[in-house]
Amino acid sequence: MNPKEEKVKIITEEFIENDEDANVGKRKKNSKVQRQPRKKQPPTTGPDKMMLEESHLGNQQELVQDEPQTRLLSVTARRGPRSLPPIPSASRTGFAEFSMRERMREKLQAARSKAESALLQEIPTPRPQRLRSPTVKELETEFGTESGKEVGSTQQEDDTQSYARVKFHVSARKIKSKPQVPPGFPSAEEAYNFFTFTFDPEPEEAEEKPKHGDGTHQEEEEGEEEPPTEEGANRMDEEELLHGKDAEDFLLGLDHTADEFLAVRPAHYESVHVRLQREKEMLFIPSRLTVPTYKKLPENVQPRFLEDEGLYIGERPEVARTNQNIMENRLLTQESGRRWFGDDGRILALPNPIKPFPSRPPVFMQEQSIKAELETLYKKAVKYVHRSQHMIGSGDPAGNFQLDIDISGLIFTHHPCFSREHVLAAKLAQLYDQYLARHQRNKAKFLTDKLQALRNAVQTGLNPEKPHQSLDTIQKTINEYKSEIRQTRKLRDAEQERDRTLLKTIIKVWKEMKSLREFQRFTNTPLKLVLRKEKVDQKTDEEAYEAEIQAEISELLEEHTEEYEQKMEEYRTSYQQWKAWKKAQRAKKKKKKQATEEHPEEETEEPYPEEDPVKPSPPEPTDRAAVEQQVRERAAQSRRRPGEPTLLPELSLAGSVTPNDQCPRAEVWRREDVKRRSVYLKVLFNNKEVSRTVSRQLGTDFRVHFGQIFNLQIFNWPESLTLQVYETVGHSSPTLLAEVFLPIPETTIVTGRAPIEEVEFSSNQHVTLDHEGVGSGVPFSFEADGSNQLILMTSGKVSHSVAWAIGENGIPLIPPLSQQNIGFRSALKRADAISSIGTSGVTDMKKLAKWAAESKLDPNDPNNAPLMQLISVATSGESYVPDFFRLEQLQQEFNFVSDEELNRSKRFRLLHLRSQQVPEFRNYKQIPVYDREIMEKVFQDYEKRLRDRNVIETKDHIDTHRAVVAKYLQQVRESVINRFLIAKQHFLLADLVVEEEVPNISILGLNLFKLAEQKRPLRPRRKGRKKVTAQNLSDGDIRLLVNIIRAYDLPVRKPTASKFQQPSRSSRTFREKHAASPDTRSPTHSADYPLGQVLVRPFVEVSFQRTICHTTTAEGPNPSWNEELELPFRAPNGDYSTASLQSVKDVVFINIFDEVLYDVLEDDRERGNGIHTRIERHWLGCVKIPFSTIYFQARIDGTFKIDIPPVLLGYSKEQNMIIERDFDSVRSLSEGSYITLFITIEPQLVPGESVREKFDSQEDEKLLQATEKFQAECALKFPKRQCLATVIDISGKTVFITRYLKPLNPPQELLNIYPNNPQATAELVARYVSLIPFLPDTVSFAGLCDLWSTSDQFLDLLAGDEEEHAVLLCNYFLFLGKKAWLVMGNAIPEGPTAYVLTWEKSHYLIWNPCSGNFYGQFDTFCPLKNVGCLIGPDNIWFNIQQYDSPLRINFDVTKHKLWKSFFSRSLPYPGLSSVQPEELIYQNTDKAAAAELQDRIEKILKEKIMDWRPRHLTRWNRYCTSTLRHFLPLLESSQGEDIEDDHRAELLKQLGDYRFSGFPLHMPYSEVKPLIDAVYSTGVHNIDVPNVEFALAVYIHPYPKNVLSVWIYVASLIRNR
Amino acid sequence: MASNANQRRARRVQGQGRSLLLPQQQPGTPRRARPQRYSASDLSLRGAAWKLLSGIREGQTQVDTPQVGDMAYWSHPIDLHFATKGLQGWPRLHLQVWSQDSFGRCQLAGYGFCHVPSSPGTHQLACHTWRPLGSWREQLARAFVGGGPQLLHGDTIYSGADRYRLHTAAGGTVHLEIGLLLRHFDRYGVEC
Repeated sequence: MNPKEEKVKIITEEFIENDEDANVGKRKKNSKVQRQPRKKQPPTTGPDKMMLEESHLGNQQELVQDEPQTRLLSVTARRGPRSLPPIPSASRTGFAEFSMRERMREKLQAARSKAESALLQEIPTPRPQRLRSPTVKELETEFGTESGKEVGSTQQEDDTQSYARVKFHVSARKIKSKPQVPPGFPSAEEAYNFFTFTFDPEPEEAEEKPKHGDGTHQEEEEGEEEPPTEEGANRMDEEELLHGKDAEDFLLGLDHTADEFLAVRPAHYESVHVRLQREKEMLFIPSRLTVPTYKKLPENVQPRFLEDEGLYIGERPEVARTNQNIMENRLLTQESGRRWFGDDGRILALPNPIKPFPSRPPVFMQEQSIKAELETLYKKAVKYVHRSQHMIGSGDPAGNFQLDIDISGLIFTHHPCFSREHVLAAKLAQLYDQYLARHQRNKAKFLTDKLQALRNAVQTGLNPEKPHQSLDTIQKTINEYKSEIRQTRKLRDAEQERDRTLLKTIIKVWKEMKSLREFQRFTNTPLKLVLRKEKVDQKTDEEAYEAEIQAEISELLEEHTEEYEQKMEEYRTSYQQWKAWKKAQRAKKKKKKQATEEHPEEETEEPYPEEDPVKPSPPEPTDRAAVEQQVRERAAQSRRRPGEPTLLPELSLAGSVTPNDQCPRAEVWRREDVKRRSVYLKVLFNNKEVSRTVSRQLGTDFRVHFGQIFNLQIFNWPESLTLQVYETVGHSSPTLLAEVFLPIPETTIVTGRAPIEEVEFSSNQHVTLDHEGVGSGVPFSFEADGSNQLILMTSGKVSHSVAWAIGENGIPLIPPLSQQNIGFRSALKRADAISSIGTSGVTDMKKLAKWAAESKLDPNDPNNAPLMQLISVATSGESYVPDFFRLEQLQQEFNFVSDEELNRSKRFRLLHLRSQQVPEFRNYKQIPVYDREIMEKVFQDYEKRLRDRNVIETKDHIDTHRAVVAKYLQQVRESVINRFLIAKQHFLLADLVVEEEVPNISILGLNLFKLAEQKRPLRPRRKGRKKVTAQNLSDGDIRLLVNIIRAYDLPVRKPTASKFQQPSRSSRTFREKHAASPDTRSPTHSADYPLGQVLVRPFVEVSFQRTICHTTTAEGPNPSWNEELELPFRAPNGDYSTASLQSVKDVVFINIFDEVLYDVLEDDRERGNGIHTRIERHWLGCVKIPFSTIYFQARIDGTFKIDIPPVLLGYSKEQNMIIERDFDSVRSLSEGSYITLFITIEPQLVPGESVREKFDSQEDEKLLQATEKFQAECALKFPKRQCLATVIDISGKTVFITRYLKPLNPPQELLNIYPNNPQATAELVARYVSLIPFLPDTVSFAGLCDLWSTSDQFLDLLAGDEEEHAVLLCNYFLFLGKKAWLVMGNAIPEGPTAYVLTWEKSHYLIWNPCSGNFYGQFDTFCPLKNVGCLIGPDNIWFNIQQYDSPLRINFDVTKHKLWKSFFSRSLPYPGLSSVQPEELIYQNTDKAAAAELQDRIEKILKEKIMDWRPRHLTRWNRYCTSTLRHFLPLLESSQGEDIEDDHRAELLKQLGDYRFSGFPLHMPYSEVKPLIDAVYSTGVHNIDVPNVEFALAVYIHPYPKNVLSVWIYVASLIRNR
Repeated sequence: MASNANQRRARRVQGQGRSLLLPQQQPGTPRRARPQRYSASDLSLRGAAWKLLSGIREGQTQVDTPQVGDMAYWSHPIDLHFATKGLQGWPRLHLQVWSQDSFGRCQLAGYGFCHVPSSPGTHQLACHTWRPLGSWREQLARAFVGGGPQLLHGDTIYSGADRYRLHTAAGGTVHLEIGLLLRHFDRYGVEC
């Protein structure tokens, strides 16, 4: 160590320290006053402090040194008593620690040197022991560091002596330099802690202690305070005794330079031996020798090897033997070291965690050792396919599919360049092919054999060897055999004959060809026919022939005899008949002769309608000889003669073709022409050219070989596959010869398995050539004279094969089936598969066991335990083999709760159901946090529904058919909803981003103009309102505004008959008495009524969702209210989503009532003083508007026909008409009353849009394109007019609309009612259609789309919207022979709808299919307001007239300027087949069921009425009820017309004492609820006159196919007193 | 009641008074700027102990075209609610980042997965993604014609030791912000 350096360092350190000390000192001044005097004692505080520290450290050092038994220095013993308690040096953290230690050493040395001299006298007695106690604490925690110090300090102690002097210099210098040097080393606080921390407990005591304590235990504390003074003394000693010079320096001073403190010394060296020696004493070095086992184990214990006992012990990690020994030795010397040893005497060890192989292989190894699961596959960048990405379940992108088309060649069977010889050759070849085919099949042989077998069977049957068989059956079988023999024989003969003729033709053609070759003196074709004769054995052949003939003859004879028998039988019977007839005739003649004399006119009747039976002639018996001759003739003709050799033709190409130079010129030209021709094929896929073959020259044999395979990569399922044959002559442009349509292969046909097929083609081109070629399409002849002309067309065959390609992994690339498994998301799905064995291995136990054996699975490894157990179970066989493989065997043990408990949680269930969008919980908000807060009843409905899913519920529906239908409809709905789920997720940008348009200049300009606009224009216009999206709505936000403007032609009160009036004195109609009805026609009261008085006081009540509002009362039959009513709207479940709003089924009832005042004064005397009246209201009629209509229309504005019951007692319209006829004849012509309304929703809601998705279709692609074009054109011209060309059927497919129209039969019983009155029949049919309940598709399909069901589906479902009604009605009209069209247009209140238009000889009628009403074209009250298009069974016409109101348009569709037709000359009607059934089949409705239903409905309604009158007694008048019940069937039969008067009269007669008000309601039957609602809306139950009685009758008229017409007659009766 | 609800949230859905909250996914930083990116995420639950009460198990974010820098922002909410009867198979998020080129073609940009944290509160997760590198030919093809190697077997993504043998390229980091609510775990002695 360079002393200089050391010194400098020390100096700086000291400065810092000193400063610190100073600070500490200051603090001490404040806090501990007692100490101050002593601290001030020394002349300089700095050194004083320093010493303090030094000594303190020294003490500490000593303490440490006390511990080891081997102590080097005796000095320490002396110093012992002065030692101080340990400083918390270890606890002192921070940067200072190491340098501090250094300093300490130095200080220590200084202190020691002092101590040596000064403290020799001190008694070192038992201190060490005592000192120990406080230090131990420190030592416990800081064992490591202390021991380190221990070593260090021993060394240092050696140094101390040698360095003592230096130290002293240093300390002296410190004193000197201290004042000048700035502060800085350990922080003040640290220093403070350093000094105060340990000593705090007893500072006072320390003070009081005498300096040289006698060994009391306080001494330690003292130390801190003692040293300074002591030190001072020590120092003095040192100065004087040892180093006088240094002392001098020190004393002199502070001004000495650094050099003066330096002393040069030799490097300290300690010999190795010494050191080793010393270390040996201090350190423990364990032996490297193996420890005997007994040492490691407890006494008398034998080592135990668990592995030998069969327990699993993992592989121990590898440790070097020596290391292990060292460790063991060390452990043994340690206390409780034995616990580290296991039973086998080895150190305990965990199994080796290191894998035996490196898990990261070297880079270049990678290629070879790719494991299966690490395989990657290069995938091309895929286009984002929208549809498939959204498809549920199939995440795989649409792959490429491949179709392989192998075109091997082309053979012309005729070509213009054929020479005559070629023609013959082609013919010959064709015949030969035919022959070969026939030969291969050899049907004649087969039939012969069969015949033989049959004959044998008959033979054996005739000689029964088994007598037990009944004769009957034998006879029967024999007869069957015989008939079969006959059949077979005939077939065989035909076959043989055909064979023979074919052979003959072949020979003939060959002969012709030969003669031709001879004639023209050259050959063109190498064809050569060789006839091979096969010799046969003459004799056997002849025998066989003869036998055959004989057998045939005998059979024929048999047959003939049978026939003869039969004929004889026939003859006999007919003869008998004839005889009888003859006899009768004779007798008749006789009679007639007499008769003619009396009645000559009867003679005309003489010729009988039936002719005279001819006398039958007996059949002739068959002649054997004739039969034989016949047979022989035929045999000779069709069969080979016996002994004649069989001829086998063989066609070969062995012949030689005459070379060109030997041919005539014409032939040479022909050949050259052929050479110039070449042929190629184009491959068209879905009518698009995808590829073409190379152009090949036509060979002389007119065969072209291509041998090309085209791999078509396709995306879509192929629709057509076409080959086009092109021919090029020379350099001219190619001409299309023909098109060949190839069939699309089935999905099972894949490449390699597809056979080569030949497809024939022919062309109709006409070619005439100026050379030998015969041309095509032109007549030519083989004969010299030109007779026997032939016309041949170019024709040929293409041999090809089409098959699906197979992908790399062996999967055929077929569009619908092939799903390559390496998909975008498929990787995610298989995340849990067992990678090592594969899932299939898991189920297969043997495989698993094998795998386990192969992989040398350690059976004892606990990790493998479940697997081993499984294998043992599986392989042992007997024990229980679970049919599942548990992936998490230990899951059960770790479960917090059982599954049942988890499933029982109501909260979880609720959450789950909500997220599944189960209807009951779809918009359930705020699920409680605790289970206990969830009521059990929340689930009740849902569970009930689940239970009832398959049980047909009859409660709501009453009649079972409708219940079934409702179920079915529900199922259809679910499936449809599922199908459209995908489409619903398809959003457009506009759906997500609502962007206000950025105002541009033009808008700004317009706004500027607006400033100048009139504030209150004379003609105000309605402004568009802002639409509100459904999301941000809640209950109470939506209101329904109903503006009731006025009504026309309301029924007026009819003066009740006198009999009714007179006896009722007190309860006469108030108005009749005082205001009086102005019924001029009433004979009795006409005088009483002043003119112009009110006939009726109507008011309107609007009820919606059981909220009721009503207007004020107006007066007269044409009242004007002009009032706005506001009704709140509440969505089901508070769900204001579009889908939910669309399916709201509620109906707005607008009821018109007449307010009637009755005078209830009992006493006439009071009449002068007061008026006491009771208000009664009489229902006049209603208008029903479904909410869905309002929702979709946004506003409804118009005049509606009021639905007035056919019988309204006490009211009439007739006189009304008479009165008004003068003023307004037009209006009075129309029957019925009307009301003008304006209905809207505030705020305006955005109606849901229909699904934008395109649906798959089975229509022709061209047709679909045409429809798109048509619709686009129409929309361009008249965007508002409805144009429909395709619709979606119930299975979600697009269907062309005209397919729905087809004549269909209405129920026969409807036709039978008015057989001679077509108009009445039409009305009846319309009524039948209108009786089918109306159910909008938006309701049934939650606004997904408009589905069209066919008429039979409609009749089965018994529910549908306008289109279905209209289609059915139109079909009926077509059946009735009318000209009928479907009208697509807008009507009020339905909005876009379908009506039916018919042509009735001179005028058009418009039918409302839902109500059964019809209107003339010029009826102003026709609800149809505009017409978009007409649809007939074979065409669609779009209205391109200027106007679209039916009043103003011409319905003549033949005018092209007015109607744009879909199918026209350019696109003719392709004759589309209908989707409707051939015929509708109607079952008659069960009358008994209807009657039962009638009773039940009546009961339910009665109960309901009683429920609605909770505060009153409801009495039922049975007499009246029965009267009404009789009356209702009449109403049905007359359809509610013209019987009012009779009815009233009858009622009067029977219920003379009652004031009666009531009316029949009529509606189609769908469910009970609408009936109840209808009755409720009439407000009959609201009468609270005390003595009121009620009458209610229900009548159900069943129509075929379960269509029910329901009549409900409700009446209230008040007894007149 | 019966067991533990593990609810994850980051941002309350506006207007929905549900107790459910969603993690916000803020993925980003592909290494190279590609025109457009989207990521497909999938929450894989191993074991039958976990039951998805509500939320969508797997889905796809929208495509983002990074305008500035390399960061693509999806801000795609995921809202899931689980119930569990055990700790086995703690849910983890599996992410696949795909990039879309100017032709609208998609290719894989990275695989990655991360476990859902086990302590409640908001967590910022960074899910590092990687993609198989493939042979030099494939790399070349990827650079010029797009596409790229994909794993045939998805299991590798989770099994670290095996995966190390694959040559991969870093595929950027997806940043996830997950808010987690745990309920009743303490009842079964699980401290989170």
